[in-house]
Amino acid sequence: MAAAAKIVVTGCGALCAAGQSPAEIWDAVRAGRSAIGPITQWDAARWPARVAGEIAGLEPFKLVTDRKLHKLIRRSDVFGLYAADRAIEDAGLPAHRERLDEAAATAFNDGTGVYVGAGGGCYASQYDFFPLLTSAGESIEAFGRELGDTVNPMWLLRTLPNNVLCHIGIRHTLKGPNACVTNHSVSGTLALIEAVEGLRAGEADRAVAVGHDAPIEPQMVLYYHQLGLLGGEVLRPYDVARSGSLFGEGAAALVLETEAAAAARGATVQGAILGSGYASEAQGLLPIRDDGDGLARAIAAALDDAGIRAADVGMIVGHANGTRQSDASEAAGIRAVFGAAPPPVTGFKWAFGHLIAASGTIETVLALRALRERVVPGVATLERLDPALGDFPVSSEARAPTSEVALVLSRGFGGTNAALLVRA
Amino acid sequence: MAGERRVAVTGLGLVTPVGSDVAATWQALLAGRSGVSAISLFDASGFPVRIAAEVKGTAHLDAIDDRRVLKSANRSHRFALAAADEAMRDAGIRPTPATRSRWGCAVGTGMMGVEFAELVALHRHSGAEGTLDTERLLTDDIARDPMVFCRSQSAAGASLLLKRYGIGGYATSVHTACASGGQAVGTAMKLVRRGVCDWVLAGGFDSMITPIGLAGFCLLNAVSPDNDAPERASRPFDATRNGFVLGEGAGFVVLEEWASARRRGARIYAELAGDGNSLSSYRITDSHPSGDGPIQAMRQALASAGATTEEVDYLNAHGTSTPMNDRSESAAARAVFGARVKQVAVSSTKSVMGHLIAAAGAVEAAVCALAIHHGRLPVNANLRELDPDCDLDIVREVPRQRRVRLAMSNSLGFGGSNSCLVLRNPEEVR
Repeated sequence: MAAAAKIVVTGCGALCAAGQSPAEIWDAVRAGRSAIGPITQWDAARWPARVAGEIAGLEPFKLVTDRKLHKLIRRSDVFGLYAADRAIEDAGLPAHRERLDEAAATAFNDGTGVYVGAGGGCYASQYDFFPLLTSAGESIEAFGRELGDTVNPMWLLRTLPNNVLCHIGIRHTLKGPNACVTNHSVSGTLALIEAVEGLRAGEADRAVAVGHDAPIEPQMVLYYHQLGLLGGEVLRPYDVARSGSLFGEGAAALVLETEAAAAARGATVQGAILGSGYASEAQGLLPIRDDGDGLARAIAAALDDAGIRAADVGMIVGHANGTRQSDASEAAGIRAVFGAAPPPVTGFKWAFGHLIAASGTIETVLALRALRERVVPGVATLERLDPALGDFPVSSEARAPTSEVALVLSRGFGGTNAALLVRA
Repeated sequence: MAGERRVAVTGLGLVTPVGSDVAATWQALLAGRSGVSAISLFDASGFPVRIAAEVKGTAHLDAIDDRRVLKSANRSHRFALAAADEAMRDAGIRPTPATRSRWGCAVGTGMMGVEFAELVALHRHSGAEGTLDTERLLTDDIARDPMVFCRSQSAAGASLLLKRYGIGGYATSVHTACASGGQAVGTAMKLVRRGVCDWVLAGGFDSMITPIGLAGFCLLNAVSPDNDAPERASRPFDATRNGFVLGEGAGFVVLEEWASARRRGARIYAELAGDGNSLSSYRITDSHPSGDGPIQAMRQALASAGATTEEVDYLNAHGTSTPMNDRSESAAARAVFGARVKQVAVSSTKSVMGHLIAAAGAVEAAVCALAIHHGRLPVNANLRELDPDCDLDIVREVPRQRRVRLAMSNSLGFGGSNSCLVLRNPEEVR
């Protein structure tokens, strides 16, 4: 299945604990600087999980300057809108549209899609009803009667999981095909995949693909801790001493265009999306297979979709979330496709945490930069490779990719696995 | 569209406020028998709106003989399991170890959160003063119960379905509010078309008839306050309409690559022929009164089906019964169908079963498949005085006998996402 049209990247934006632009984040990763630190959103000093990749000193009004909008959005939405604004600006879409006549501008708006991968909501949104529950006692009758007194009338709109999609559309008057994927850690990658497929099928000429999430909230942290998914102070993927993942927060966005659409407006091309693959293991919400079955099938499907061979892949950005089982099964899945000698493998979550729904998006942005710089950054927190993984090609030192193609892997609840192939 | 893979609808499953399966739901939709009544799931006596379209009883769960699965499922997941089971039985095909990678699953899912009883318990322990006490949360049973977590996750419903049937290919959960179900089915169609899957279990499920869900819509004045006349409350396109009625349930379809469905002699209800998808980018809750937004989705859906407006015989409208939606959607229908607008029969089945939110689009896609299959159009109940702004050919009072060549299904969501699906009579596939 050769691609119908070549899909190129013409704009990127990102923010997370490590920085507020792809360049800043890249510099932190290259310097081996982890942005993981104490959680500050609440007093977590006595908590079993105390650290995360929090965006320190967050100033929401600086990230999204429309003050009225903040009544209608939540923390994660601020990140998503900021990243999308930066990517749209980076691609030069507003300047291009200004040069068009009215009919062409309408066609431009209708021909621009928006695809978002989102966390699906937060537990904290339900706490907005706590004052009402307190005043109503245990009475549901009183809860209904006093509703209008304490709860923001815009509560539901503020809580919509598709808010970023909605407000990117309104702010940039984009009206094309769209999706909002709420499928855990593969959401951002699925949004990218659907954007690419929308362009390949000719449903749109260009699309903004966004991933955003803000999982660092008390109830979420406790659940992940209970399930044994969170580690100690450091996220050490593939390390013998790895003990679990750590949350991060933030967003990333890419502007994708058909090669023809990008050329027609003289856009600068930053890379290309070659293909994707996807598979699920169907073991339930949390279990995953040890043999990497779903991941291997996803990678094989991506190679097939892109029409390239495993040997053409020059670097792998692993999911590398630092949990014992995920990292081990990931290594098994990679070996099942690449055999004894896979290309250099790295990961990025050690540097700013696991952005859950946004993880695949931000890691794709960084993979493109790695290819352009011809550097596979090292995993700075890696001290001793897990001997059970054999001579798995991951390193704390930077290496060179062996080609211009990177494979980006994302894995999520439900045993879902996504693989994306990109080129600089 | 030479060479493009076609998509057959070979299985249907429904759990709705008017029936725990396809047959019961279809009979109620033809008869215009409302599923709206006083809320029984909780004490709604203090709410400004005290009516909803609830799924009645537990008959839909009879086929789910797996207690572990039920323990992992919240109310909306149970609807999903039941409707998906019916759709899979109806299609008469299951994933096998050899075919699992070619099976996909795409679902429209509701908003994340814990169930109301759990929230009340959480509040009692960790929020009694009105804000969250994070120290107390550390010892809160709700915040330490992995099952609560699993049921609350957005990917939970899809995950239950993947495991139950052994679906090993593409799987996604989408949420675009009231357009979720339509977008899930549209996504599923594209998976088959582009060759990623040969079969997809696609649908939507939701249950917002809870104190929190109802509160959210009450605060927006989006729901009809006609507490004294529940069966008349949902009246799309009527001049006196005053809001939608909250419903719940699930709808699922089994989609299958056309040639393989034909080879195995499957019953084909319809071809899922087109999907259109646009953003209104106007206001969070409304499309422009001109119909801008829905218009593009409807035109794209026809283009995607390789069809023209000449072939459209039935539109299952989004038709929520809110003043703005029905006006904007009528304007869109006029713009898209032009001089032919009076030849397109229109009904909103929300008049009977209320608004199933994230499930609505999937349920209504199944209704379109049934309309094609039976050659009958379900009624738009409760229409007494047609709003002059909505001067469409509405199916009033009694169901209409009509052979349907093409049916369209609109789903227009909060947030501005518009989904339009086109289904084609299998006899028209050449």
